[in-house]
This record gives sequence, C-alpha cells and structure tokens, in this order.
Amino acid sequence: MNIKNKLTIALATLSIFLLGCYPQGPEFTEDLDIVLTYFKDDYDFSAKNTYARPDRIVKITGNLQEGDDPVYIPDGTAALILAQIDKNMENLGWDKVDVSDNPDLLLTPASWETTTILYYYDYWYWWYGGYYPGWGYPAYATSYSTGTLLMSLIDPTVVGGNGNIVLQWTGALNGILTGYYDASRVNKGIDQAFAQSPYLKIN
Amino acid sequence: MKKIFFVIFSVVATSAFSQSITALQYSMGFGTGDLGDFVGAPSFRGFTIDYRKLVQPNIGVGFDIGWNVFYEAKSYDTYTSGNLSYSGKQWRYNNQFPLLFAVDYYLKPGEQINPFAGLGIGTMYSLRNTDMGQYTLEEDAWNFALRPEVGVLIEANPGLSFTVTGKYYYGFEAGDLPAQSYFALNVGFVFTK
Repeated sequence: MNIKNKLTIALATLSIFLLGCYPQGPEFTEDLDIVLTYFKDDYDFSAKNTYARPDRIVKITGNLQEGDDPVYIPDGTAALILAQIDKNMENLGWDKVDVSDNPDLLLTPASWETTTILYYYDYWYWWYGGYYPGWGYPAYATSYSTGTLLMSLIDPTVVGGNGNIVLQWTGALNGILTGYYDASRVNKGIDQAFAQSPYLKIN
Repeated sequence: MKKIFFVIFSVVATSAFSQSITALQYSMGFGTGDLGDFVGAPSFRGFTIDYRKLVQPNIGVGFDIGWNVFYEAKSYDTYTSGNLSYSGKQWRYNNQFPLLFAVDYYLKPGEQINPFAGLGIGTMYSLRNTDMGQYTLEEDAWNFALRPEVGVLIEANPGLSFTVTGKYYYGFEAGDLPAQSYFALNVGFVFTK
C-alpha cells in the first residue's frame, strides 16, 4: 500500500470517528424551557402591597384594534396558572384585591403561541427521480409549537413619556408545547420567575 | 493572511522535490483562560493534520490545520445581566480551527526516537455558540495565533512513525471574543516520504 492510500484510509477513519461524535444538545422537551425576568430598577416595589388581576388569561392573537374579539386560554388551565401566580405573590407578601379597590399594581397575564413548520426536501431526488417519472419533488413537513406565558406588573398611576403604560416587572416563560397541559413544567417556570425576582419581596 | 496561504502553498508545491512528513493526529484539548472559563470540560473531539518539508535533516517547515470542539452542557441555572435575569439549561460549544505556518527543529534526525520542538504562527478561527431554550448566541473571531509545540516521533518502520505532541494555542483578542487559548495533547501517525 502506498503512502497516498495509507493517508486516505487514515483520514477517512479519523473523519468518520470525529463527525460521528459531534456533541448533541438537549434531549427532552423540558430542557428547552427558559424563564426571563426584567424589572425597572427605579421603581420602589417595597412601598406597595396590593395587586389585582383578571380571572382569565388572554391569548395574544388577532388584532383588537381592528375589531377582533379577544381569545382566552381554557378557563381550567388559566385557573391553575393563576393560582400558582397568586401563591407566589402571597409568599412575597402581596395582597390580592379587586380591581375596583384601587390596587397598587395590576398583574396582567397573557400568552401566545407560534408554530414553526420545517420542510425537509429529499436531496437525493436528482439521483432516483428520473427513474420514477410522475413523482413530484418530495418534501416532508414537520412542525413544532412554542408557547410563552407573559406576566407583567403595571402601576396604573405611572404613565410613560409617550402616554403608554410602563411595565415595572415582566416575567416570561418560554418552551416547546406538548399536546397536553404539563402543570409541573408551568409551575416550575412560574416559581422560578418569582424566585429570581427578590426585589418583589415586601414582607 | 494571504501571506500565510502563500507560504503554505509554496511549501506544498515544492514538496515533491524533498523529504516530507505528514502527521494525522487525534487531538484532545484543555481550555485555558476565557475558553476554559466558558467550557470547563476537556475536549475529546479534535484532529490536526501537520505537514512538514524537511529543508534540512533537522528542520522542517510547513503548516498545521486542525479542529477542536469544546462542549459542555450546563445544568439549569440563573444568569443575570443588569435588570435582566434568565434561567434555563445551556449548551456551550467552542470550535477552534487553527491554520498555522510552522517550523520544527528535530533533535535526533534519523534515529528511531526523534524528539522535536516547534513554533507555529498564523490564524485561528474561533466559533462560539451558547444555546439556551430555542435560541443561540453566536460569536466568532479570527484570532492572530501563536503555537509552541514539543513532541516526539517514534519510527515503527521505514515510512511510518507514531507521534505524541503537546501544543499550546494562543489566539489574541479579536472579533467578538477575548483571547482564546488551549492546550492540546495529540497522538497519531506520521507518514514519511
């Protein structure tokens, strides 16, 4: 065997070995769950102690300004999510009151969903397609949906320079949706959002 | 950069007229400095291809190309930047692609065990990805790079040797990244022509 052949075999073996073991990322759906929080550092949460919230969770979809009706997530699911939010707020020292009782803050939960469609084209079609006339160019589609739960705290007495509301605190949970409501994932995310926001603690 | 490619090309083009060695090596990497902070785990995925033309029996000039990927899956954790905090698992990837002009000095040419030392100079492409959720933060840099090296050639039979080398890559701050550096321990085959 000459040196060229030896080199080729050695290089091919090395390539196969290395390409075959490129590190992989997440294994499970919940591995992709993330929680993000943001707060206005010039706002004094410790001077407040009451909040109010709606009994439903709106889905961000359509366009209300063009006359579309708001859409809500199912009441049963919303009740579970809102109960977990209330539990965390109570642990931090906040009292829930009715919106008519002049609350210090408004807690506005919302959600949205996006679906990503992935197409796979068979790149070998140029090779076998000519032998099987009549087939269309093969493409396979798969999709996944991403869900986000958004929680915001708004002081109704504070108005931004442009006349819009100001979000004093925002918590967002984001992850891949499964075909059923996974309470443990959602509750874990809600708990984490409040746990990483120690400035909300007023007791 | 163009000069480096020109020198490499010249060495390859004239290689047919003198003795040369080509080394294929499996490479293990150990990050240092910023790279070691980003990925604490050693890399067991990498290779180098080293080519030297022997301009003297004890001096070889040529080039190195290689690849090491450093990878670490970080446990669920919280990271804070100013007023923003984010939590989740992270997957960190740091790919290093050195491309260097190299000179080696052989201490005992012609003997079965032939230690050597060398220096490389050129560039190193660094590509860093921080994956979290469905998002990735990608940063990259073309670092000006230096690479001292020590090693030994162990001749198995005429035309074929084994080699063990230690290389330290240092890529100076560039692009999106601070200086990137790592130590590599390589083992492989050497083909002599």
